[in-house]
Parts: sequence; C-alpha cells; structure tokens
Amino acid sequence: MIERFNDRNVVTGIIQLGLILLIITIGGFAYRASGRPKDGTAPPEPVMAGAVAGAASGAMVALFVIVVTLLAEAGYVARDMFESVTPALLDILTFQQNPWVGSAIMIVMAAGVGGLAGYAHRLPAEGRKLTFLGLGTLLIVGLAAPIVDVMVKGLGLPSGWLFRREGLTVAGALLVLVVTVALRWYLDRQGGFRRAAAKLPGITDSNIKKVGLTAAAVVVLALPWLVNSFISEVLGTVGLYILLGLGLNIVVGYAGLLDLGYVAFYAVGAYVTAVTTSLVGYLVTDDPLRPAQNGWTSFWLALPITVVIAFLIGVLIGAPVLRLRGDYLAIVTLGFGEIIRTLVLSDWLKPYFGGPQGVTDVPAPPPASFEFRQPQRLYYLILAFALLALFVSSRLKDSRIGRAWAAMREDEDIAEGMGVSVIKYKTLAFAIGAAVGCLGGAFFAAKLSVANPGSFTLLVSINVLAVVVLGGMGSIPGVVVGSLVLVGLPELLREFGEYRLHIYGAILVLIMLYRPAGLIPDKRRARELAEAKELKETSGVAAS
Amino acid sequence: MGLVIVILAARWLGQVGSSPLQHGGREHMRKLNRKGVLVVVTVLGLIAAACGGTSGPPDACTSDPFGCVEVGAGEPIKIGSLLVITTADASLGLDSQYGVELALDYWGATDFDGANGQIKGHDVALQAEDDGCSAEGGTAGAQKLAADEDIVGVVGTSCSSAALGVADTILGDKGIVLVSPSNTGPALTDPAKHKPFYLRTAHNDKLQGATVAHFAYNELGVKSAATIHDGSPYAEGLANVFAEVFTSLGGTVTAQEAIQRGDTDFNPVLTSIAATGPEFLYYPIFVAEGGLITQQARGTAGLEAIALQGSDGLFTPDWIDAAGAENAEGVYISGPDLSAFTGDVDFYNNVFIPAYTAKYGPPGSVFHAHAWDATNMLLTAIDQVAIEQGDSLFIPRTALKDAMFATSGFVGITGTLDCNDDGDCQQAVTIAVHQVKNGEFGDPIYSEASTLGG
Amino acid sequence: MTAAPTPMVRGLSTRLARLPIRRISLIALGIAIIYGVVAGTTATLRTGKFDTHDWVNFLVQGIARGSVYALIALGYTLVYGILLMINFAHGEVFMAGSFTAFFVASALAGHGFLDRQPIISFVILLLVSVATSVTVALLLERLAYRPLRGAPRLVPLITAIGASLFLQYTFRGLYGEQAQAYPEIDAFQGTVQIAGFPVTKEQLIVIVGALILWLALYLFIERTRTGRAMRAVGEDRQIAALMGIDVDRTIRITFAVGGALAGAAGILYVLLFNQVNFTMGFIPGLKAFTAAVLGGIGSITGAALGGLILGVLEAVGPTLFLTGTGIPSAFQLTPIVSFGILVLVLIFLPGGLLGAPEEKRA
Repeated sequence: MIERFNDRNVVTGIIQLGLILLIITIGGFAYRASGRPKDGTAPPEPVMAGAVAGAASGAMVALFVIVVTLLAEAGYVARDMFESVTPALLDILTFQQNPWVGSAIMIVMAAGVGGLAGYAHRLPAEGRKLTFLGLGTLLIVGLAAPIVDVMVKGLGLPSGWLFRREGLTVAGALLVLVVTVALRWYLDRQGGFRRAAAKLPGITDSNIKKVGLTAAAVVVLALPWLVNSFISEVLGTVGLYILLGLGLNIVVGYAGLLDLGYVAFYAVGAYVTAVTTSLVGYLVTDDPLRPAQNGWTSFWLALPITVVIAFLIGVLIGAPVLRLRGDYLAIVTLGFGEIIRTLVLSDWLKPYFGGPQGVTDVPAPPPASFEFRQPQRLYYLILAFALLALFVSSRLKDSRIGRAWAAMREDEDIAEGMGVSVIKYKTLAFAIGAAVGCLGGAFFAAKLSVANPGSFTLLVSINVLAVVVLGGMGSIPGVVVGSLVLVGLPELLREFGEYRLHIYGAILVLIMLYRPAGLIPDKRRARELAEAKELKETSGVAAS
Repeated sequence: MGLVIVILAARWLGQVGSSPLQHGGREHMRKLNRKGVLVVVTVLGLIAAACGGTSGPPDACTSDPFGCVEVGAGEPIKIGSLLVITTADASLGLDSQYGVELALDYWGATDFDGANGQIKGHDVALQAEDDGCSAEGGTAGAQKLAADEDIVGVVGTSCSSAALGVADTILGDKGIVLVSPSNTGPALTDPAKHKPFYLRTAHNDKLQGATVAHFAYNELGVKSAATIHDGSPYAEGLANVFAEVFTSLGGTVTAQEAIQRGDTDFNPVLTSIAATGPEFLYYPIFVAEGGLITQQARGTAGLEAIALQGSDGLFTPDWIDAAGAENAEGVYISGPDLSAFTGDVDFYNNVFIPAYTAKYGPPGSVFHAHAWDATNMLLTAIDQVAIEQGDSLFIPRTALKDAMFATSGFVGITGTLDCNDDGDCQQAVTIAVHQVKNGEFGDPIYSEASTLGG
Repeated sequence: MTAAPTPMVRGLSTRLARLPIRRISLIALGIAIIYGVVAGTTATLRTGKFDTHDWVNFLVQGIARGSVYALIALGYTLVYGILLMINFAHGEVFMAGSFTAFFVASALAGHGFLDRQPIISFVILLLVSVATSVTVALLLERLAYRPLRGAPRLVPLITAIGASLFLQYTFRGLYGEQAQAYPEIDAFQGTVQIAGFPVTKEQLIVIVGALILWLALYLFIERTRTGRAMRAVGEDRQIAALMGIDVDRTIRITFAVGGALAGAAGILYVLLFNQVNFTMGFIPGLKAFTAAVLGGIGSITGAALGGLILGVLEAVGPTLFLTGTGIPSAFQLTPIVSFGILVLVLIFLPGGLLGAPEEKRA
C-alpha cells in the first residue's frame, strides 16, 4: 500500500506522494503548534517553535524506525502483526539510507519543515493565504496529472513539457505555482472574482450571473469531447449521484427527514426497469437460459411505470413511519433499505429477481442506433434528467409546498397549528424523493446492463446522504459540488484500491469539522442555523 | 452532434439577448449576444478540430463490426486483467495475476528479465482491475475496462459470479475478448448462455462436480450427502452437478441449502442440515464463508462425525488460516491436479515455478498456470491479427476473437488447448482431491481424469 | 376555483376525510404482521422438522448472540442518552479491541500459555481488548465529536460515518485484510447440561459475562456519583454544568464506559464466532443500534432487553416463522424478520419498548 502511494509522483523524479504526505503531516502539526495559544498567553517565537515541533515529530518517526529495526534484529518481525510495516516502508522513511543515518536525516528534515511552517505565521495574512493556495493547487494538479494530461491532449495541445510519467515536470510545477498565485493576487487586488469579471467588456453587474451560467453550460455540454471515455463514464456516475442527491435533498434538506434508506428506491427503480426490459426477465421467458428477443417493454415505457411504483411505495412506507422521531426514522428507513436488498438477494425471490447474480441482459435504451450505452451519450441522457430534477427541485423550493416544508423544519407544532398538515407534507416529500431516486435506479440499470444486489448496499445510502450534507442541506448547487467531490474523486482515485474508502472517510470527517454547514450552504438554512444557535445561547435550551 | 449543440447554444444565447433587463439596455445585450455566439462557435470549432480523425485506418477495420484498436507510434498495447485482488479471496486473484505478469515478462525475449515483451515493436502493458469475486465487483471492473478504448483483451475474471451475465456481456458488447483462467461455472459455456467474446482455459465444473461425487460415493463410501452453496454460479453449478451425479450413482441428497456471501452465522443452516442426517457435506464456496462454516460445523450437534468437502474456492492456505488449522484438519478439498498437467510440465516445474516463487513467494492458489496459458493465447492471437500501418498498429476486434476461438493444438502448461465454439478451451482435465493434514494440503489422495462430452 | 360542490358530496368527502385512515392502515399493517407470524409458526411446528432439543438449541444461540448485541447496544444508548447522537463508529470500537487482542491470543497460544492458564489468559485478553477499545473511543470523542457538540443532528452523523470508514480501513492497513481465526481455549470447550439441555461452555460464559457486566453498569449508573452525573448531563446539559458537574469529563467517561463494554463484547463475540477481520464491526454495530432503538434508545435496561430480543429473533425467528411456509432458505430473510418486528414495535410504541413516549418530535 505504501509502495503504491509512493509510486505517485507529484513532480516527477523529485517529489513523491509518500514524501508529500509526510511533509504535510509534520508541517500541519508544526503550524498548529507554533500558532497563537488559545488561552491568551504570549505567543512563542514561531520559527523556533515550529522547528521544535517538527523535530519532535521527526524524532517520533525515527524512533519508530529504530524500534522496528532493533526488534527485527532480535527476531520479532513487526510485519507479522502490522502488515504495512514492510521493508519498502522503512526504506521510504529512512531515505534509503541505513536506519541510523536515515533517522538523523528525518529529524533534520522535519525540523526544517517545522521551521518553515512556523515561519508561515510570520507572513502577512495575504502572503500566507497565497502560499497555501499555490502549494495546495500544485498538489492537486500534480495528483490529477493523468486526467489533466488527457484533457490537454484532447484539445490537441502538446503536453509533454507539462507532464511526464504521471507527474508534473519541474517546468510544469513552476508554471502552476506562478499562475495560481498571480491569478489570486490579481483577483484580490480587484476586490474579488465578481468585480474583476465585471471589468471584462460586455459584462455588467447584472448579467454576470447569466454569462457565468452560459459559460458553465457550454463547458458542461462540451465536456465529453474534452475528456476520454473513462472520464465520461465517471461523469455519468457523478450525474447519477447528482440526480439521487437532488432527490434526497428534498427529503432531508427540504423536509428535514432523516432518511438512511434511500438506496431502497434506487434499487426499486433499477430492478423494476431491469425486470420489465430485460431479455431474460421472468415476464418474457420461463427459462433464464433462453433469452427472449425483446424485453417485456422498452426502456422509455418502463420509466413512467417505475416512477409510479416508486411513488406509491414512498407513500405506503411513508404513512406509518413518518410520524416517528428523527432517530427512530433513521433506523426504520435503514431497515427498509436492508429489507429491499435482502428480498432481491434471496433465494425465495430468485425466479423473479435473479438472486445474487441479479437481472442481466438489460438492453440499452432504444433506439439502438443512438448507442446510449456509450459513455458520452449516456452522460447527456443523465445530464438531461438531472437538469429536469434540478428544475423541479428549485421550483418546489419556492412554491407553496416548499414554504410548508420550511415551516415544518422550523417548528412542527406551530406549523401544524397554522394549518400545515405535517404528515401529509412529509409523505409528499418522501414520495417525491422516492420518484427521483427510482429514476436514478432506472438509468443505473440501463448503464450497467445488469441489476445485481451488491450494488444496493447501505453504503450507497450513506454516499448520497453525505453528498447532500456535505454540499449543504437544501442547497442545489451544493448537491452538484458534493457529488463532484465525493463521487468523482473516489472514482479517479481508484488506483489506490480499497484505500479510497479510507480517504473518503477522512474527507467526510474533515469537511464536517471545518465546514459543518456544507460546502455551499443554502442561504435560508444558514439563516435558520444561525437563529437556532442564537436562541440556544440566549435561552439555554439544550441542543436538539 | 456538435452541430446540434451549436444550434442549441445559439438559440439559448438568442433568448438571453432578448429578455428585458434593468440596466444596460438592449445595446449591451446585443453586444453580449454577438460576442457570446462568437466565443461559443470558436470553442466548438477548436473542439471539432481536435476530434478530427487522422489518416484512415486499414480496410479490415472499417469492415470489422467492432472496429479496431489503434495503437499509435510508441504507445503500448494494453491488455487488462480482471481478477479478485482484494477481499478475503485475494489469494486466488493475485495468484492468477502473477501468472499473467510472468507471461508478459517472458513473452518475446523468452526470459524473466523484468521487462514485458513486445508485439511488432510495441510494448505490452497490463492494466490490472479487481473483480471482487462478485457480480457487483465484476460490473464495476468491466465497466472501467470497457470504457477504455485502448484495451485489446482482458484476462479474467477470477470468479464465475463476476463473469456470468456481467463481465462477459459488458466487455462482449464492446467487442473486447475475455479469457478466464479460473471461471469454472458450467453456465458460462452453456450454449444458451454463452457470450460470443468469452473463453476460458480453466476446466468446466461439470467435470469437477462429477469427480467429487465419484470420490464421495466410491472412495469414501458415503450414501447420503448434503450441499451448501452461496448463490454464485460457481458454487451452485458445482453443488447441482454433484447432486445429480451422486443421485445417479445411487446416493441420496438429504438437503441442498443456500447461504449468502457476507453471512457470519451459519448455525441455523447447519442445524437444519444436521436434522436430515447426512454423512457428507459438500460446500464448494469461498474463503470467508467457508472458513466460518468449517468452524461452526465442528461445533454443531449432529455433525460431529460428518465428512466435509470443499473445492477450489477453498484451495488456499488463507482458508486454513481463516478456519483454524484444528478445524480444517481432515477436510477434503478438490481442485485441478497440479501434478497432472499434460502440457509442458518440465517448463512448469523447472522454470516457471522457480521464477514465480523468487518474485512472489509460494503460490497462494492453483490457477497461475491457467493464467499463463490464457495470456499466451491472447498474445499469440494479437500477434497473428495485428496490422501494421506506418508506425501504428491496428488490431481488428472480431478477427482477434476469431483467432482465439480457432486456437487448436496450442501447447501450454496445463495441457493442449483446443477451444470449442462455446468457449471451453480445456476439454480434458484431471481433478484431484486432497485432505488437509497438519495445516497443509499435501499430495492428492484421489485423482480422476475426464473429458468434456466424454 | 370550480363551483362549490353540492352539499351531498361535501358531506361525504368531509366524512371521508374525518376517517382516521392512517390509524386504520397502521393497525391493519400491525394485524397483518401478527397474523403472518402466527400462521408461519403454526405451519412450522406442524411440519415437525425440529424437535424440542433443536428449538432450545436455537434459543440458547439466540440468547448468547443477543448478549453480545446487548453489550454493544449499551454503548450506543449511553452516548445517545448524553449527547443525542448516534455513534456510528461504535462498531469499529468493538472491532478494534477484538482484533488487537487476537495478536495477544496468538502469542499466548504459541507459548502454550493459553491452555495452561486459561482463566488468566482470558483476563489478559479482556484487558487488552478493553484498553484498545477505550483508547479508540476516547480518540473518537476528542478528535471527531467534541468540535461538533452544538451542530444539528445530521452533521455528527456524517462525521461518525466517516470516522467509521476511516477506522475500518486504518485497521485494515494495520492488520491486513485476511480474516484470522482465534485460537480456541481448550478449557472452554465442551457442553454442560442445564435442565437436561446441552449448552456449550462458551455460550454460558458469554451469557453470564454479559449479565454481570450489565449489572455492573446498572449499579454504576444508579448508585455512584459519576453515574448520577451522567444522568444529569443527559437530562439537561446546561443545568448540570450550573450545578458544578464537569460536563466534558462526564462525556469522556461515558465514551470510555461505552468503549469498555464494546471491548468486552469483542472478546465474548470471539468465543462464539472465532473469526476476526477488519469489517467485523460494521454489521454487529448496526444490529446493536437496532437493538438499542428497539428497547428504547436512552434506556440501559431497554438496550439490554432489545439486544436479547433481537438475538433470539434472529436465531429463532426465520426458522420458526418461515420454514413452514415453504420458503426456501428462510434464514436468508433474517433482516426482514428483525426489521419487521422493529417496525411493529415502533408502530405501537413509538419510543421503543422501554423508551419514553415522544416528548418532542424531530
């Protein structure tokens, strides 16, 4: 695992990912340690403090290396218990020298990094922001090198001088740094992105939003042409999660219901579509070994059937369950997700749902000549429906229903008193969310050509919930950004194998710690949150 | 398609221009309108240019229903592998992957120098993906490979569940040939289910299930048996074939149960089986569940004296670890007989295994040889059909598939490969049964050779 | 608006709207579930496939598993009672202790110590597991939960989920992805006869051990000062702080106690199932959470009761309710049985079995 991390070059031949991670950890620790103490005592000399903190962490790493080496000499191989402590790891931590020399180098280097981190406190705030921004962008571009490389090549531009062998070249790194810092500095001088853009010819304050949207629209529409088919496929998945996220956004963000079983509707959509359109579905053939010529119906006809079924299930499930308190609702919805998955996986329903193998031979949406299963085409299809969902979501938010939901969120009893039938609106939200979720499922089945139970685990519900919460509950652009970050990134990080879930978990925790309101918080929610906080502080009511 | 977008964009921009605004007025909007259209058209023009084709491909490509893979000057020929390299069954997939890697290394220079061989001047590169030994994993991995236009062929999958209806369809729909080193589920090459771009060098479990039944009835002398499968095509296939043959020999199958992968508590199903009183329990499943069942069966009332048997899914030291050596003691495991390969056995024992062990340690499973054979089949076929044009190489997909299916008399390690129309390339196979003693599989205690259709 | 409906139609529709449709459908659902259960049970018993011996066997298995679930559920309920937060990462706390103790167990078994001194070995394993679990729980609290004390409910939930994934894969990175079999303690093998039915020694140890631990916790919460402090903070944090209770310290202790129970549960679990791997915490964690809700989240007795009931339901339920109906491989449908009963309980007792009826809706 460590070897795989280290194979990644940020700047080819000079900086590997393993080293960077080490530097970031030590640097981050030193930065925090040399900052202004919370209790108001005099701040220590930052560079010295940073260097000391750095040296301390370096010493700990060195100690680890020495202990492992000594134990190995005494016959206790650390690898028996801790699988990752491989010789390769030790090599990296000692810079390929023998343990003692390597440790000494480590301590010195860590002290240096710590000192630099401490020095960052000395910089004016602006300079500090620019430095971090530049370095951060360098890291991201370096890691994303393969993708950016493909995009640059796709535009017909030469990329060899910029990238080489999965990392930036020195020239490329310098370019990225300079461009980022210069751009940010220029924008700051102009007073922000909006004002700077306003100075461009033909754009005024009032139409900047429209121009921005148009530009974004052009990029989004042209995207599949700019990138290769693998990335189009990833974008298709991102689009799918945007669709799901918008659906769950209605349930969680608008109506404030805690739903941990959203995957149930996803599964319903996928399975109903699969069963009705598959060539081996039980509706068209008795023997799975003898596929029929056509499915029971075509994809486009199956779509409204699926939506109606999901809506009905949403109403049926919602009615008894939605009057439960938040956390009870969570576990019950989770239960429903598991129940659906168990049902489609079971031997009992195998003749209908195919058991562990699922329902196979789902044809692509007709007409066949359009080749909808090609990643680029599929992307447009999903994009179209995601836009539809987006439109519906935003109209709902400002409608009477949306206002009812907002009232419910603030205080259910008062809303009930004002004539808002809480249970009715909750069920409505739940059912609409169900309908959107099942749309996502339908496209999923068509995309994969198979619907199998392993795709509908609790993790999917969690993913969608994370997308919504991370993006900002109730916020539509938040869902888009959340999906890009939480779905796009792990797909691109697939080469790290199972560790992408490790990174995913860490990202979830970090973003919640630093941006609890989400990446792009919805304005109304943010106001509600602020008011709730105020209320809590002044009246001393325990947080709910 | 590009034209459609230009038109749509222009119309939308036109609408933007025509809506009334507070400041600026129409003059401003008209300027923006024109500028916008200009920008859009330029961008799109650039894109169209970028997507413009290069010089035309050879005729074989335009007539091939799936087209060709174009390997540019200096670019490698990419083949993929789709094997279970994570989860508890990783030893099975990694073992096959190592076989593939060694085959790539050996190709061309015929030595293990650490550098992959070349075909017609282009390096061969491997893109390794994970099939998770499940339909879901197979879907994800196959999708990833199918989305990559440069992949010529794939060696995989490890588990039949990742292939049946999943990888064989997803890859086949793109015309990417899929050759498996360890899929043994009978359904994969059943004439009604077989997908046109799928082949395998592993045996067909119709043979293995029968061998186990013969072993149980004739060798062990048991007259009643029960089976447990996990719903995967592999396990279910084996359990069903076993039950059929066992019954035809005169035995009785007292129970046929199914569990699910990921389950941890098997006491209910084991108690249920114990209530029917069999003498033999066949559970041809995988490491995680197999380990637990082995443990729990030892502790189930009524199953103390029962004979336990698994198959190649459990044929790995990882399973012995998972079950615990004491529990695994005395369990019978069936799998391809490594000592009965009919191919280049000398090469296998004296060149291949030493090279494998030196690089990767002792083999964790038994299908590395099949993976080697599969890779060599693929590389040979690519070499045969690739068309050179200047510095580029064009590999027509359907022609490649046909070349693979036409393989006949191909001497590999496992035997002489002869592919039939349904994708079975290993027609004759020897299955051995081992018994776990002192935490090791040891030598076969029973061995049976059989042929498909014979 | 269309013309006003005629008086007749209006009367009918008003009367229809007045019908408590929801009430009726809920009760109908409840009756349907109960009917299904009864019908299935009678059908199964009529087939006579299992004798009394088998049923008692299932029952004992269920109680043993239920005891493990109960211990983990106690951790959930303690944290929820005090912070109103679902600690999704609790399953990983459980896994951490168990998995770490595995290495100690192997070492002990390798030297033969395990068999020579089974009681002492067992205690050592317990201590190692508890220590590891408590450490992980405290780290979680400090790093992931404390900064988010005031945030709306969903935020700590997502953090907990993220922490759960992170911990799982950290342990995978540390200890590898292979499942490992725990060495068996010879002294704990074999069965004893209780009232004429065989019970394995391991099951006995698990049940008795869990009972002792629960009792200890109960006394701790009810009788000691710290326990009272925990209850006070759970009721009203602001006022407890005003009364001089160190809220931070109390919360830390809560997490530690929950972690300790999970660590103990880890060792007991291993006695029953003998296998550890890095994903082993996820599903028991989920089941324990279900158990806590079933019993009424926030109540200690409820959590224990919920755990036991869930365990028995899982072991006995599918076989009892479904075998008779001819459904193949009925035990695959265990989650349906568990969640079905959960829904049933929550429909009629919205606060869970022993929980307070909803005083404040979400």
